[in-house]
Amino acid sequence: MDLLNTFLIGITAGTIYALMAISMVLVWRSTRVVNFAQAGMALLSTYFGYEAVTRLESFWIALPVAMIGGALVAALVEMILIRLLVKHSTSGPIAGVAPIIATLGLLGVIRSISAMIWGGQDLRIVGPVSNDGFTINATTLVFSPLKLLILVTVLVLMLILSVIFQKTNIGLALRASAYAPEIARLSGIKVDWVRTLGWALAGATGAVAGMFQTVNGNGTLSPDSIEFSLLLVSGFIAAVIGGLDSLIGAVIGGLVLGLMISFVLMYVSSGLFFIAPFVILLTILFIRPQGVFGAKAARRA
Amino acid sequence: MKAMNRRKLITVSAVLAAVSLAVTAVPAQAAEVGVSSSEIKLGMTLPMTGTASLGYNKIPGAAKAYFDYLNANGGINGRKVTLVVKDDRYVPTEAVAKTNELILKDKVMALLAPLGTANNKAVAASVNPARRGIPVLFVNTGFSGFADTKKYPTTYTVLPSYIMEAKIMGQYIKDNFAGKKIGLLYQDDDFGIDALAGFKTAGVNFAVKVPYASGSQSAAAAAGWITKFKAAEADVVILFGVSSATSAMLGVAAQLKYAPQWMLGSVGGDATTIKLTGVPAGVLYNAIGFSPVPATTDMKDEYVKLFSDIYAKAVPGSPFDLNVLLGMNTAFMTAQALKAAGPNPTRKSLMAAIDSKGATFANSALVPAAYSQTSHVGLTGYWVGKYSPTGDLAPVGGTYVTYTTDSGAGAVVKSTYVRPAMPAKGLPN
Amino acid sequence: MHKKQSRDIVLFILGGVVLYFLSGVVDELRVYQGATIAVYVIAISSIILLTGYSGQVSLGHGALMAVGAYAAAVAHIELKLPIILCFVIAVLASAVGGALLGAAAARLSGPYLAGTTLALAIGLPSLANQFGVLGGEQGLLFDVGFPPLSLGEEFTQYKWFFWIAGLAALISMWAIKNILGSRYGRTWRAIRGNDVAAQLCGINIARSKILAFTISAGIAGLAGALLSMTIGTVSPSAFPLALSFSLLTGAVLSGITTLAGAMIGAVVLVAIPEIADVVAHRIGSSERVTTNLPGFLVSALLIVTVLFVPNGPVEQHRARKAKHLASQK
Repeated sequence: MDLLNTFLIGITAGTIYALMAISMVLVWRSTRVVNFAQAGMALLSTYFGYEAVTRLESFWIALPVAMIGGALVAALVEMILIRLLVKHSTSGPIAGVAPIIATLGLLGVIRSISAMIWGGQDLRIVGPVSNDGFTINATTLVFSPLKLLILVTVLVLMLILSVIFQKTNIGLALRASAYAPEIARLSGIKVDWVRTLGWALAGATGAVAGMFQTVNGNGTLSPDSIEFSLLLVSGFIAAVIGGLDSLIGAVIGGLVLGLMISFVLMYVSSGLFFIAPFVILLTILFIRPQGVFGAKAARRA
Repeated sequence: MKAMNRRKLITVSAVLAAVSLAVTAVPAQAAEVGVSSSEIKLGMTLPMTGTASLGYNKIPGAAKAYFDYLNANGGINGRKVTLVVKDDRYVPTEAVAKTNELILKDKVMALLAPLGTANNKAVAASVNPARRGIPVLFVNTGFSGFADTKKYPTTYTVLPSYIMEAKIMGQYIKDNFAGKKIGLLYQDDDFGIDALAGFKTAGVNFAVKVPYASGSQSAAAAAGWITKFKAAEADVVILFGVSSATSAMLGVAAQLKYAPQWMLGSVGGDATTIKLTGVPAGVLYNAIGFSPVPATTDMKDEYVKLFSDIYAKAVPGSPFDLNVLLGMNTAFMTAQALKAAGPNPTRKSLMAAIDSKGATFANSALVPAAYSQTSHVGLTGYWVGKYSPTGDLAPVGGTYVTYTTDSGAGAVVKSTYVRPAMPAKGLPN
Repeated sequence: MHKKQSRDIVLFILGGVVLYFLSGVVDELRVYQGATIAVYVIAISSIILLTGYSGQVSLGHGALMAVGAYAAAVAHIELKLPIILCFVIAVLASAVGGALLGAAAARLSGPYLAGTTLALAIGLPSLANQFGVLGGEQGLLFDVGFPPLSLGEEFTQYKWFFWIAGLAALISMWAIKNILGSRYGRTWRAIRGNDVAAQLCGINIARSKILAFTISAGIAGLAGALLSMTIGTVSPSAFPLALSFSLLTGAVLSGITTLAGAMIGAVVLVAIPEIADVVAHRIGSSERVTTNLPGFLVSALLIVTVLFVPNGPVEQHRARKAKHLASQK
């Protein structure tokens, strides 16, 4: 029974990490930037969601509110910060690390602004359905209607995203805009617009991850909660496991990471909460530095 | 050329540092630091923001509410008591930096109720109030070590120590749960070490002990703890951790419909705080709890009545809970200490006042304090109660059953302490 | 060459003398802040060496500082070694940690390295909870003791901290300056400029990258031990992610390739909370704003610097001056 419980906890957490990883992949694909502020943007979107939940008392309205808010914030960040960055910091010894440093700064700015507006205390978002575990044969599982709902919603979202990417040219346009902006421009792609779109999609996806991470935890939201630190690290690690460039890779990376953390917490020690992901990351990078699904060339920044 | 520029730069930087260091002049010394003809200044560090701030961030508001009430009624011999509060986010580095500011910049007379075992230890080691002769009144931690007058000669504890609490819990278990399997959740630092020492003295044998590292408590971790308690078939589970650990545990237990007999330590036992995190009140029902001060819902108690009235006026809309009551009680004791320190209180006379009269200071606690010339130990016991269906801790049958003990090998005894009546209007006399 | 070096030594000694007199005239809070500035100078210069010169980014220097701090504290408590040896052990222990991390880092580039070190910064300090000897969340006491009585009754603890940290800062700046001027420094700059060309010249890229990481980590470890000295304890929460970020901000503000600028970054980092305090009081803001203003200012400053003065104010000034000179010719 423990085994099943651990597995179910891991899968649910893993799908959320996968969402976070997807949003990082989307940003990477569109602008070749690893966005360390992704979890911060998810946090901000979740605060939007919180405002909607408390005002309208419906999680199902709050979720799209958070997604739209997240998309807008991300689009703004791309249009202001990233474009300036590309314009200004292309030469000198800083060029290689400028995007990393800028997104880290953004993470700090978002965190402190959120804390200024909403305070450092825990705020609560109540999930749409009960988080009380299902009972089978008089044993109560950790798996609950809420977790089932999260699983289903995330799967649906992933399906929608993959349809968008397969049936439309957006995926291709994103890739072209990032790799060869000049050629893309010549072939009629509105490069700037496509990049912004990539960020907006990422912002919306991250918002869902933030909302679910909050209700799947103990329902509390604060600028420096464990849940968001975990989202920050796990999103990145899951994306790297998947190779940074692959959507499928991100999903599998998220699931693998979720399961591994869950098993370590249950069977090894709950104190390894943060060190476990790091060990997993190092192991994977040693075996395959380009990620499990990454092409060899993708490793180069 | 480049090399020369670089050297010039070093000089410029050095000058820059010099200027930045020298901008403040050394001020003139008053009769006593932090005491003027119109004011007595005290300083407090505690987490006001961040996860650990939950519940505790109401303490300054509570203390200030009492001091404002005091000031409106003449203050201490005409001097107003002001409290400077600094947020340390429960980080030792910040606690040290903020305490330095309080002492060196705000120039407070004494530190009041700084919170957290680790933070107090860091401050003692780095800022070293003892060496500067600065009183550290009524530290907000139950770590028994702070009562060591050799190591911390200017520090006064107020909360009963974790050892005392564990010993009293142990006695209660012997009396009421003999032969039952007992489980313990504890924090694996000085907080937990103190608890284990107390349980050992009380002779409690645990079927299972689950340690957790401070900061690791979460819903996911709690699921793991429950697995261990279930495997050991514990009948009684003691939660001897901070609020967030108690909340995570009870929250997940509710989801898993796991319901042993809960016993909550006072540190993580404030009902308002637990309920704030979304734990249904029903889960708390019938859990056993411990407190040195009266139930916060006990409006027949003169202190609770007065304090809750003052607090409701000062901070409208904020529920009156254990943190508020303890915060106001500490402020009330501080006022008496300042009053007892003479017409022109100094740091020395303040500490001397607590040494000689501290044990007789009126306060809301239902257990005696043990201050003396040789002891900086504050309150020495608890009453045992149960949580009501609405999740509030109340004495069983309406009467407080109190126990007292010490942090050593002393026995746990039913207390015969009779609390002195509250001074008129709740002002120091 | 020799002449230049001896002039450098004179300069550093002069710096020491200035600091010595300074510690006598300012009040205690400033002395304490001075000690903190010295610690930051060391930590920031370790990042400048790594990122500015060898082109590797680390968001995990807070973790390496923790390694040094714990090593020093354990050496002091368990082995009862004299304090000076504890600092040496701090440097060695974190250098070993840095070598291990560097071996991993040499295989990674850009964002991969950044993310790995980020995970380290978040993960490593919590490891202290796994081992009893490290004292858990509460950490270990690290008490360097009172200043020697020979310095006089009036000599305060903070002045003592300031002396130790200031001396360590002078020595490490001098050491770094010499390393950067040596063959290794040139090698790193070559790799940063063009790794393919460097490889063709027979430079072992992996080995010199690992070396850079090792040295940088050793210096960071020293900074960590000194930081713990000023706080009196070593605990996981003293090395939060925010510390790693602050150091990076300090390095960027200093100019990522300007070693001597480390002072600027360090002073700004220590000044920001005070400035924020003044601003918050001026605008009469709420508790929330007051407590979060420093964090906001650090981050905002980081972004602004990266966007508009990406190579630091000093480098910018120098470039402008060079341009000016060139146009005069």
